[in-house]
Amino acid sequence: MTAHVRLRDVTKRLGTHLAVDHVSLDVAEGEFTTLLGPSGCGKTTTLRMIAGFYHPDAGDIFVRDMRVTDVPPHRRNTAMVFQEYALFPHMTVAENIGYGLRMRGVDAAEARRRVAAVAEMVGLAGQEAKFPNQLSGGQQQRVAVARALVVEPEVLLLDEPLSNLDAKLRVRVRTELRALQQRLNKTTIYVTHDQEEALSISDRIAVMNQGRIVQVGSPREIYYHPVDRFVADFVGLANFVPVQVTAPGRVRLAALEFAVEQATGVGPATLVVRPETVTLSETPPGDGQRVVLRGRVKASAFLGGIARYWVDALGMEWIVDQAAPGERMFAGDVSLMLAPERMHVLRGHDDRTEVAGPRTEGEGRS
Amino acid sequence: MAVIRWGDVRRHLGDPGVVFAFAGAGVLLGLFVLYPTYRVLVYPSLADYLAIPASPRWTRAAMHSLVMMVISTLTATLAGLIFAFAVTRRDIPGRGFFRAIAMLPLFAPPFMVAFAYILMFGRQGLITKTLFGLDANIFGWHGLWLVQTVAFFPLAMLIIVGVLEAINPSLEHAARNLGADEWTVARTITFALARPGVAGAALVVAISVLADFGNAVVIAGNYPLLATEAWYLMEGMGDLKGAALVVAMLIVPTTILFFLERYWVSRRVYTTVTGRGSRIEHPPTHPVLKWGTVAFCAAMSVMVAAVYFGVIAGAITTVWGRDWTPTLNHIGLAADRLETLWASVRISALAGAITGVVSVLVAFLTSRTLPGRQALDFLAVLPGALPGVFVGVGFVLAFNRPPLELVGTVWVIALALAFWHLPMGYQAAVATLKQIERSIEEAATNLGASGLRVLWDIYLPLLQRAFVSAFTVSFIRAVTNVSIVVFLVTPGNVVATFAILNMINNGIWGAAAALTTMLLMLTLVAVGLAQAAAGRALRPMRMG
Repeated sequence: MTAHVRLRDVTKRLGTHLAVDHVSLDVAEGEFTTLLGPSGCGKTTTLRMIAGFYHPDAGDIFVRDMRVTDVPPHRRNTAMVFQEYALFPHMTVAENIGYGLRMRGVDAAEARRRVAAVAEMVGLAGQEAKFPNQLSGGQQQRVAVARALVVEPEVLLLDEPLSNLDAKLRVRVRTELRALQQRLNKTTIYVTHDQEEALSISDRIAVMNQGRIVQVGSPREIYYHPVDRFVADFVGLANFVPVQVTAPGRVRLAALEFAVEQATGVGPATLVVRPETVTLSETPPGDGQRVVLRGRVKASAFLGGIARYWVDALGMEWIVDQAAPGERMFAGDVSLMLAPERMHVLRGHDDRTEVAGPRTEGEGRS
Repeated sequence: MAVIRWGDVRRHLGDPGVVFAFAGAGVLLGLFVLYPTYRVLVYPSLADYLAIPASPRWTRAAMHSLVMMVISTLTATLAGLIFAFAVTRRDIPGRGFFRAIAMLPLFAPPFMVAFAYILMFGRQGLITKTLFGLDANIFGWHGLWLVQTVAFFPLAMLIIVGVLEAINPSLEHAARNLGADEWTVARTITFALARPGVAGAALVVAISVLADFGNAVVIAGNYPLLATEAWYLMEGMGDLKGAALVVAMLIVPTTILFFLERYWVSRRVYTTVTGRGSRIEHPPTHPVLKWGTVAFCAAMSVMVAAVYFGVIAGAITTVWGRDWTPTLNHIGLAADRLETLWASVRISALAGAITGVVSVLVAFLTSRTLPGRQALDFLAVLPGALPGVFVGVGFVLAFNRPPLELVGTVWVIALALAFWHLPMGYQAAVATLKQIERSIEEAATNLGASGLRVLWDIYLPLLQRAFVSAFTVSFIRAVTNVSIVVFLVTPGNVVATFAILNMINNGIWGAAAALTTMLLMLTLVAVGLAQAAAGRALRPMRMG
């Protein structure tokens, strides 16, 4: 299968800053791919190069095997939804949505029909005569999406399109956006720094850091099998536990030794333990549980759906989340039950730890 | 070996339409800003310049100009600061009234305050002679000081209001919360934060005082100043070289002040102030500060009202100071000169249109990344450093001979006024452009619009408001201008301000007052129309 959008060793310097550093990425037809990373990681620059606003210093961009690197932005069919929407303030909703059709010389009657259809699709029917400033933030966002969709772009680009919405609306709109994308089977590239957003909306996530793509994979792969400490730390919370790999598949943590499927290469390693994979109990559990630590609750916070604990155990601080906490909170001495089957191993002990298991890129998509 | 990519070539050359427009704007600014300036500066010989210190005539006028600059700037800025404080505090009674009345002098012809004060406080003055029986002489530096204070404090007020409004009231609350009393807050927070703004206002006022021709020519009497000397030399003695020398001397301080304001003070203003914060109320003002401010503003308001009262009363009084019977005779006399008012309107509309078009065009061009845009930007703001008399002399010297012999036509007046007012329109257009998110242009490009489509579809509609404001400011200032038109009018195209000035100088006060009143009404109508037009252009832009 050839990729719909293909980036090959794309590099871009902005001033003296190396914004994008040899980025290669394949996006399949109909796939929703998210570029995820902290601010300044190069994700927006990458997106803008696909749209043609920046010209790469090196490397090439292909859309359906056609090299578009030198095609000016107005001749690419890569409609974009901007972070601040960039609606034309002097045009009505209908004029905004229809602008791209006008530029493509679509005749007026046909354009009217398509504008109405798209407006209906994103839930803007009846708002066509209004000006952008007469709309709520959520409606403006819908105009921006409709304006990009109506031209039936090869690829839909979205640059943090939800960041100007309040938290509740953001969750609703992203669900709608995903449903719309799947219904239209539209190849989509999405930029965000919000890991939860990325996990919930994407087919695949490309995690970026300092201009490079660090890992590409399905949301599950990214979350449970991060390739390094940066990814593990950026996507979700994690406890990083120094251990020794004693034999392939065997890990020693203090006096405990247990099986972790992924562990290869004997020597120092780091376990990635997600807070919700640890279970707390007040009394030591029965013999059935093998990987149990004793600890002491230092602090706790009630967060509604979960309770979060900071627990001292084995000389380090563990973050542990317990679902549905109800009235009772743990305090004082507790037992921590670890789940080896949900652990992930990184080689080495320091920040530069690397994955011990096989690289996850290209593994089966979910 | 690198391959030459067509895309690279295109990116470096830019849009051919834009490049062409850039060249055109460069030629216009070179011809109507740079060339007249150059002509003035090279007209006197080096020996003429070197002889300046030895000539008491020049040194005395220069001294006088500097003295007036210092004293009038101090009082006008102080009055402006107090007014600005008053109109930005919600607990100060009458703040709306104070703001409105302080705006009035901004729409008046520049000689109007002086003229009105002769009527009110002069030898035949309503207050001095008729009410108190005094034989007061208002002509001279002291009269000019009073007049310039009243004429220019609104300018200071407007600038300082902008700065005070940008100070987040939370800062004052925070200071109160940390233990400062009302006085300490005013001293250490409010006025301390306003300081760069006050400095900027003082510099702008100082330039206006130095360049003030209208008031000085009416009321300075035997107190020669650089601005008035230029006119006496040229009109009285036909001494073009002397006039050029005097205005060349005048632009030394105005240019220094201008660039000080533009590149130093205005930058500090923006870095000090936190931008428009929340619109919460200020903490209460100390009662002494509050009522002291009210008393001062009330007194100044009376002085401003006296300007309008004097001129309007003068228009319907038989013989000012002697016979107070109401009459319509002066209005009849003024009506005979109605054609001067039409000339003013025609020339000013032309000037306003030129300012509007050039402002919007140059602002668009300097927002592009093109080589030479800094030079274009410099030429567009340069006229702000030039006094009107300088521009007047400059256009005479530049266009009184072939190949561009324009002196004697209405075009030369309109062009001089248009390019003199360019910085105001240009800066308004630049500010508007800055508010237009770059992503709006990108969105249009992203949807398939080429470079020129973007200008046509996006920028021109969004710059309508900037065009209207550039047109209006230029029109109003052109209608009321004297400093430039005195050099450029010829018997065939006398404008109203020039006619009024002659009437005042010849003692025909009644008709002068009547024609001034008409000019004033015309200006106010223009302001009203412009606001209606701007409102329409603005409609889709309005927030919320």
